[in-house]
Amino acid sequence: MDTLVARYSQPMFEKEYSEEDQLELCQPTPSLSLKFAMPPIAQPSAWLRAATDDHANPNCPIKIAHGTTTLAFRFQGGIIVATDSRATAGNWIASQTVKKVIEINNCLLGTMAGGAADCQYWLAYLGMQCRLHELRHKRRISVAAASKILANLVYSYKGMGLSMGTMCAGVTPQEGPALYYIDSDGTRLSGNLFCVGSGQTFAYGVLDAEYRYDLTEKEALELGSRSILAATHRDAYSGGFINLYHVKEDGWVKHGFSDTNPIFWKTKLEKGEFSNVTSELV
Amino acid sequence: MAAMFSQNPLMNGPNYSFNQAPTTASGNKQHGFYPYTDNGGSTLAISGNDFTIIAGDTRSTSGYNINTRYAPKVFKIGGTTDSQDDATLVLSVVGFAADGHALKERLDAIVKMYRYQHGKPMSVKACAQRLSTILYGKRFFPYYVTAILGGLDEDGKGAVYSYDPVGSYEREQCRAAGAAASLIMPFLDNQVNFKNQYMPGIGEGHALAEREKIPLPRNEVEDLVKDAFDSAVERHIEVGDGLLMMIITKDGIEEIFKPLKKD
Amino acid sequence: MEVLLGITGKDFTLVAASKAAMRGATILKASDDKTRALNKHTLMAFSGEAGDTIQFAEYIQANAQLYSMRNNIDLSPSAVAHFVRGELASSLRSRKPYNVNLLLGGVDPITDKPSLYWLDYLASLAPLPYAAHGYAQYYCLSILDKHHHPDIDYEQGLKILRMCTDELKRRLPIDFKGMLVKVITKDGIKEVEYDDEARIACP
Repeated sequence: MDTLVARYSQPMFEKEYSEEDQLELCQPTPSLSLKFAMPPIAQPSAWLRAATDDHANPNCPIKIAHGTTTLAFRFQGGIIVATDSRATAGNWIASQTVKKVIEINNCLLGTMAGGAADCQYWLAYLGMQCRLHELRHKRRISVAAASKILANLVYSYKGMGLSMGTMCAGVTPQEGPALYYIDSDGTRLSGNLFCVGSGQTFAYGVLDAEYRYDLTEKEALELGSRSILAATHRDAYSGGFINLYHVKEDGWVKHGFSDTNPIFWKTKLEKGEFSNVTSELV
Repeated sequence: MAAMFSQNPLMNGPNYSFNQAPTTASGNKQHGFYPYTDNGGSTLAISGNDFTIIAGDTRSTSGYNINTRYAPKVFKIGGTTDSQDDATLVLSVVGFAADGHALKERLDAIVKMYRYQHGKPMSVKACAQRLSTILYGKRFFPYYVTAILGGLDEDGKGAVYSYDPVGSYEREQCRAAGAAASLIMPFLDNQVNFKNQYMPGIGEGHALAEREKIPLPRNEVEDLVKDAFDSAVERHIEVGDGLLMMIITKDGIEEIFKPLKKD
Repeated sequence: MEVLLGITGKDFTLVAASKAAMRGATILKASDDKTRALNKHTLMAFSGEAGDTIQFAEYIQANAQLYSMRNNIDLSPSAVAHFVRGELASSLRSRKPYNVNLLLGGVDPITDKPSLYWLDYLASLAPLPYAAHGYAQYYCLSILDKHHHPDIDYEQGLKILRMCTDELKRRLPIDFKGMLVKVITKDGIKEVEYDDEARIACP
């Protein structure tokens, strides 16, 4: 009888929001404790996939922006980072002006492929961790360490549905130019050259054919931009603008956010490339 | 048939939310958890040189039913009074109205707490970043909404920030969201950013000169917003009834209501 | 993981096909020829469902040769391409369609104009300056977009082909055992000596 009384005398939704939760709800600065709201069910990840993954469920109600071409490569003069700027949700082009190069701090860059929010949020978080490292150790974090923070972080969320393929590029006195690839599976690789996203193969094609470590700065910038152009031409999920960065020892330099359309026509008409595009009807 | 539409719980059985009656004493049966619905409607925001306009229709639907003809999707955020007439930020939410309302309440509380703790109103830039983290905080149980935040930046220029449901955001010149986004956004690209418009008589073939980009004056933007919604109402069943516009200038927020077709 | 590539130039058409014949996880043969000559100036390369490919290719080959014998003149590459498309289209609507993707390279014996036709199993036909089938599309088309010009000579054509096959060796996770390369000119079809020994590493 007592248990029966106890069951019915408690308010039904008592544990819905604890006082602590309520306080956190209206805190002007977000907590650092990485607490995420979870759906009140046994298999949150399966539920999330049904609701948000348009690959697993094309009728999913929440469309998360996907589709990209990003690349980064190391060369004698530092690292070139280039991306397109299109965000798609299914067939809908959600935006043509996405900034897929994320400025973690003034000498570290991250790129964004996969879930836009995942990349934005976790690279901003990485920026915070890098700054804390600087304050604690009185020197800048190495790219290897920074990329490992991110890799360990996303690995701890493995299977929860995070989707990101990112590259961390930076130049430090200890490492020189350093480039790492990190994805939401937990892979972390160092390397000279990476392309990530739905247009990666097209970018690889152009990039591999002419890539050398001793490229001049001008050649490297041109090759990076041309590789993105190739991908925007062949991959429908890539397009918009070419976002170009050069990472050097004393920080990164931005080399423009330029519309692909005039660049395409300039390349075609002045260099005679893209000969498959004709105005004749065959 | 009458029972189906009755709000009387005795006729329909208990009115559980989520369309799922709890099965007796079996805690681990979880199928059919679907806490979302789409309430339709559309929102739109355009920033100008010294103003921002955020607008949204006021129809709320579920399926083919119209719940109400007046459910605003555009809200003032912050301010010090009950009427919020000294607010400087505006949030629009479209998608699942309940999540939208929860999000608005939460952001409003945070912006008010910020003012209380810092003794100054929150800037749009700060609020935009905070809204992103709020949305991402529910990354694994998302708010089913597309949010747009508007205000004036530190230089007094119009600012519009648009979001996806889990918090990726970007500052833009203009943005349409919701059911009729695919109808309105191309119109905005052409009329606000002058996409695919070229100078007449200049250049040939593919060497066309793009039309010069100039910031639009307020009255023209207001007309664009009205035209966009009138057009959306013509071609989308979930848009209609009324248009609520909020215009943010240095003098405060002006509210304009314009009736739309109600069929 | 089969590779088909085609490149046209000033006075020639290059057709290349991977040499591996694969069944599941096994390579049955490392010197397979996935091409058939349809007449003196037309070569067809094929990939797709095992069995279907050779049956269909040899059926087309027989019919093209029959036409040549009956009429004492070869069909032009364009005529062959449209004939093949017709056959694929009627097969597609039959009880058991052929699952074959094709590249058709040729040089017109009258005008000496090189041509290349891309066909897939759904009977789409596209005349193109360069073309690829399968995974090769993803890696090679961007290279060809950049480096191809309609008036390249044979040496330049081979150089571009080399860029493509090097990229495939570099990035494809499965060894396709090198390429068999043939060139069509106004003098007919010739196999090209193509060195496949070099190991290409990722940068």
